[in-house]
Amino acid sequence: MSKRVFHHPPEAQSGRKYWRSLGQLEKTPEFNRWLEKEFPQGAAEFQGGEVSRRNFLQLMGASMALAGLSFASCRRQLNLVPFTKGVEWSIPGKALFYATSMPARRGAEPLVVATYDGRPTKIEGNPTHPATAGASSIWAQSAILDLYDPDRSRDFLNKGQKSDSLKFTKALDEILASGGDGSGIAFLVERNHSPTRERLRALAEKKFPKLSWCVYEPTGGISDEVSRVAFGDGILVTPQLDKADVIMAVDCDFLSNSGGNLDQIRQFSSRRKVSATDSKMNRLYVVENRYTVTGGMADHRLRVPASQAGAFLAALANAIGAATKNSELADLAKAWSANTPFADGDKKYVENWVSVSASDLLASKGKSVVLVGDRQPAAVQLLGHAINSALGNLGKTLIGRRTIEKPALTIEQLAAAIDAKSVKALFILGGNPVYNAPADLKWAEKQATVPHVVRLGYHEDETSKSEQGTPRVEWHVPMAHFLEAWSDGVANDGSYTSVQPMILPLFDGWSELDLLSIVAGGQKPAGAELVQETFGERTGGAGDFTAAWAKFLHDGFIADSAPAPEALSYKGSEAAAYAAKAGPVPAAAAGTFEVVFAADSKVDDGRFANNGWLQELPDPITKLTWDNAALISPATAESLGIAEYDLHMRVKRITIKAGEATLTVPALISPGAADNSITLPLGYGRTVVGRVGRGTANLGTGFNAYLLRTSQNPYFVTGATVTPADGMYEMGVTQEHASMEGRGADFTREATLTQYNIVAKEPEGTPTSAYFQKMGMDAHNPKNVSLYSHPPLNSPTSIDPHAWGMTVDLNSCTGCSACMIACQAENNIPIVGKEQVIDNREMHWIRVDRYYASENNDLKDPELISQPLMCQHCENAPCETVCPVNATVHSEDGLNVMAYNRCIGTRYCANNCPFKVRRFNFFDYNQRDVLGHKKGHPFTGLYKWNLTSDKGMPDTLKMQKNPNVTVRMRGVMEKCTFCVQRIQEAKITAKAHSRDTDAIPRVPANAFTTACAQVCPTDAITFGDINNPESNVSKIKADARGYRLLEYLNVSTRVWYLARIRNPNPQMPDAGKLGAFIHPAGETNEAATPTGGHS
Amino acid sequence: MANIFPRGSNWIPIKLTVISSFIGLAIFAGCWYYLTPKYSRVGYQPVQPVPFPHDIHTSQLGMDCRYCHSFVEVAAHSNVPTTQVCLNCHSQIQKDNPKLKPLWTSWETGQPVQWVQIHKTPDYVYFNHSVHVNRGVSCVSCHGTVNHMEVVYHAKPHTMKWCLECHREPELFVRPVAEVTHLDWQPPAKAGESIDDAQLRIGTEIKQREHLNPPDKNCAGCHR
Repeated sequence: MSKRVFHHPPEAQSGRKYWRSLGQLEKTPEFNRWLEKEFPQGAAEFQGGEVSRRNFLQLMGASMALAGLSFASCRRQLNLVPFTKGVEWSIPGKALFYATSMPARRGAEPLVVATYDGRPTKIEGNPTHPATAGASSIWAQSAILDLYDPDRSRDFLNKGQKSDSLKFTKALDEILASGGDGSGIAFLVERNHSPTRERLRALAEKKFPKLSWCVYEPTGGISDEVSRVAFGDGILVTPQLDKADVIMAVDCDFLSNSGGNLDQIRQFSSRRKVSATDSKMNRLYVVENRYTVTGGMADHRLRVPASQAGAFLAALANAIGAATKNSELADLAKAWSANTPFADGDKKYVENWVSVSASDLLASKGKSVVLVGDRQPAAVQLLGHAINSALGNLGKTLIGRRTIEKPALTIEQLAAAIDAKSVKALFILGGNPVYNAPADLKWAEKQATVPHVVRLGYHEDETSKSEQGTPRVEWHVPMAHFLEAWSDGVANDGSYTSVQPMILPLFDGWSELDLLSIVAGGQKPAGAELVQETFGERTGGAGDFTAAWAKFLHDGFIADSAPAPEALSYKGSEAAAYAAKAGPVPAAAAGTFEVVFAADSKVDDGRFANNGWLQELPDPITKLTWDNAALISPATAESLGIAEYDLHMRVKRITIKAGEATLTVPALISPGAADNSITLPLGYGRTVVGRVGRGTANLGTGFNAYLLRTSQNPYFVTGATVTPADGMYEMGVTQEHASMEGRGADFTREATLTQYNIVAKEPEGTPTSAYFQKMGMDAHNPKNVSLYSHPPLNSPTSIDPHAWGMTVDLNSCTGCSACMIACQAENNIPIVGKEQVIDNREMHWIRVDRYYASENNDLKDPELISQPLMCQHCENAPCETVCPVNATVHSEDGLNVMAYNRCIGTRYCANNCPFKVRRFNFFDYNQRDVLGHKKGHPFTGLYKWNLTSDKGMPDTLKMQKNPNVTVRMRGVMEKCTFCVQRIQEAKITAKAHSRDTDAIPRVPANAFTTACAQVCPTDAITFGDINNPESNVSKIKADARGYRLLEYLNVSTRVWYLARIRNPNPQMPDAGKLGAFIHPAGETNEAATPTGGHS
Repeated sequence: MANIFPRGSNWIPIKLTVISSFIGLAIFAGCWYYLTPKYSRVGYQPVQPVPFPHDIHTSQLGMDCRYCHSFVEVAAHSNVPTTQVCLNCHSQIQKDNPKLKPLWTSWETGQPVQWVQIHKTPDYVYFNHSVHVNRGVSCVSCHGTVNHMEVVYHAKPHTMKWCLECHREPELFVRPVAEVTHLDWQPPAKAGESIDDAQLRIGTEIKQREHLNPPDKNCAGCHR
């Protein structure tokens, strides 16, 4: 009898394809070899430069011998140490949750933090806050790692010499005493929307009337200044995306993590939750120079260089002005007449695009919104405001909010004051101006000319000392983390939030408020008093203060504390004058390039560079880890002759010359990018940074794009020249990892809204109603037969009443990857370093696969769809049948569980997993120095196995670990457990509650959820009990869009995906290619194709 | 006649003897250690900083286990009492007893008393006290008759096999929830019924009424 081999049906050669990388699209032999192998060539081999296999075996032998002698199982005496006095609320071993909020550029992010026995371990969004409803950003998720960063600044330093807080306070008094009326005192701070900081600033200004106050955010944008011109002083404009039917985003990545904009993301996605009962959806037009997560969600997307966004808006303004007979718009647009947006030189296409989208906006007057990127020049943003005004969107889809922040100096103004020698004492609170100030300011030299510089810094970074270690400041003060200090904030919706400490400062750091209160009042106050005073002022002090304060801390915010929206009236003449003065962005000269400086999706402006979770998080679009790279379009790469790359993502490098500055960076080909537009993410190439930010010993982390950035061109620079440079650069790009034997293209399913409405209305049982379930391979492959029989796991007679399942809504998922960080924080997942990522050994339990979709192998302008993939908990799990030691088995409630202690590391399970979601701990990533910085040993980094090795992680990092999850060791397979620790806790609670009753202990519907579902800003992931008809997951999976992966293999997964629905405008020139009823395999299923859709 | 075997081969029998005796010794030592109660620490009875007699406090004075181990019904971890709890009584009773000196030192300095841990589950086992005591598993089932121990010792082996004995057949061990901290409780036997039969009868009743369903094959019940 011959072996039964499952022959995979061949992929069609034409039609719409879903692909992750150029290699996959072109079917290079290298990619095919990659598909066949679980890991890249040699990845399973022992290959480090430091030690050979022979050496290793010898050493292993030696350590085995020693292990035999040392009685590994001998137990030392352990002590149980109770408190001396009972601590209020504290139950040993049980989590205690505190509400707080994270200060961010756009507004505070309301949070709830889990603490175990006094140590914070996990950050979640505050579920009671109406605007964010339990969602949180990747930065809030990873902030817990920053708290325990072993490279944090620990000491007060006076000119580099260790000092203490007493000496500093004394010195500070002297510095301030010499301040006089404050004309010599300047503060440089970051934006954080803290009312207490504003209050202390006012007090300080009272004491020193001429004090200068400068706020600098390198990637913060100028939208507030622009709205000041357009709508008056102190007015911030906030979109109300839940009220918008049509959204036009011009170079505006409003769905990305940009610090405190979760409410916007939620509002947007609330309009994309289609179901049989609610079949309406908003429509999103995106105009951008490279793929962003916003572009990935677009229904229509146009590639336009950032410098041409203004020209595009002018064309749009002309169309809308003509239709609304609004002469203001035409006048504003006139300045741009010499300038037309282009895409591939196809003028007609763009004109058509503009006019059809303009009529769509006009058709939804008052229910549409035009969003312009906040870092675009003022003239461009004013065009956007003018269009919104003409469309009658003001006060409806855009509302005004009065900011608490008073006007401040820009960094250029501060630099001028330093040049004029008028600054005697400079206080730099947070930030990192030496690294991220515009290059033309030469900030390091400026800072050196100020007699007294006091720095409050979380790290000793570029601003505090030079690369050689020479101090750049007179005083460096260690800064307290926001989880260690009192403060307050204002969320993006205007509500007042608390910031409270849940641990004493680990290294006796000071908060901004501590330092400011000394400046303002002369002494360091105790604890919460500063915030209490602000709280009292805001609440008016009526009623029981103690109770109100306790409620504020308990809730984390004051309900309904957002001020009423301000009326918005567009000041046309002022805006026109301002725009005329600023002038249009000149069209780029032929043969030159524009360079766009983007805030990085992970390390932001560089502030999170020492956070390993963020460094190792694949970028949502490029899937790049540990690095930044110049993103260029395939055509640009072709024209520069640098289109070469290989599977190890060794890419060519380019030298960019903009103005006087040059920079050599690796170039990453990015499908969907505008031609001749190069995007450079900021935030990398830090020089004075902790161990993580320095990267692995022989591979650094990224390039400093700030070197090209000047105060005239903070966002993009035109007229740059690019030349190919020598050498290749190796990048950790995960886009081809876990390629699932090429079946992956079958995983994402999509359709148009019209088609969905036909399918959803179809009665159950008809072929059309199963349209989404019978796509691709499932359309024509009969279900495989299982050789094993077991009782159905979700039957009502099962001994466990629960059956856990999950749904993932691809229509909501933006690909932001917050789930990956949440999972990492919850499940003690180690980082592995860039070298190991290159070898396909990253440990993330959940990954977000990004697919491009295009017809006829189109690289230039594909569509994009993201799909989170975690262990699917197959009921007929292929991994379980191949495990020789029963280390992975099924539980009664339907989980595919891993018993780490049984695992002997054969990796058969990973090999047999069709989804490639199993992760193998090749080295002891949790215990070893994955970055290989420790020198002076014969074997460094990971390749230290035995007697001479340093083992163990820094004590502070141990404090972060979730005590309810095993910290896995080397040689053990691991994977998503559906957060089994949370499941067990919920079950135990249910069992304890049913004490002495005859009720069946059952977890109530939606009582808890997994870390990934909890963090998701768009509620794309839902987890729960599919046996309970009341649970959200049961309701969601019943939707017509629900499908399971690889049904034809009969693995019977427990994760239901909900197909992506696009809402194209049928009149648009690019409507035909969207969400077409063509299966990835290239075959249309005649029986299931509903009429009325696009063909 | 030429030597068939090289000279060195003379040593082979001796080498073999020495090596095999070493291996034999290792196997013997391994069995001695791992297959006897020493490995599961049954009988381990360390000296505590304060010689707290459980028997006097519970059997003579009638204190409930939960007076000191106060969170046992709500938390995974059964807490050891704080110094404050001890001094609730001992600030009045026997306050000059020299054996209580560590308590007073702790109270004055704020440094906790360093009790010696007796029962230790490995890090990869997530044992939860609350779910056991709320479902009718008595303290005595795992810790032995602590109420009769002057000095507490490790009474049961706490191996996985031992855990599973109860997880597979909880009816042999469970008792009414109200009796969980009554360590001397015996199942009330009907006339002519043995204690074991009475336990089986009552245990089965409880198991059915309260839908006891301990994880017996679900690894994730204890290993996460």
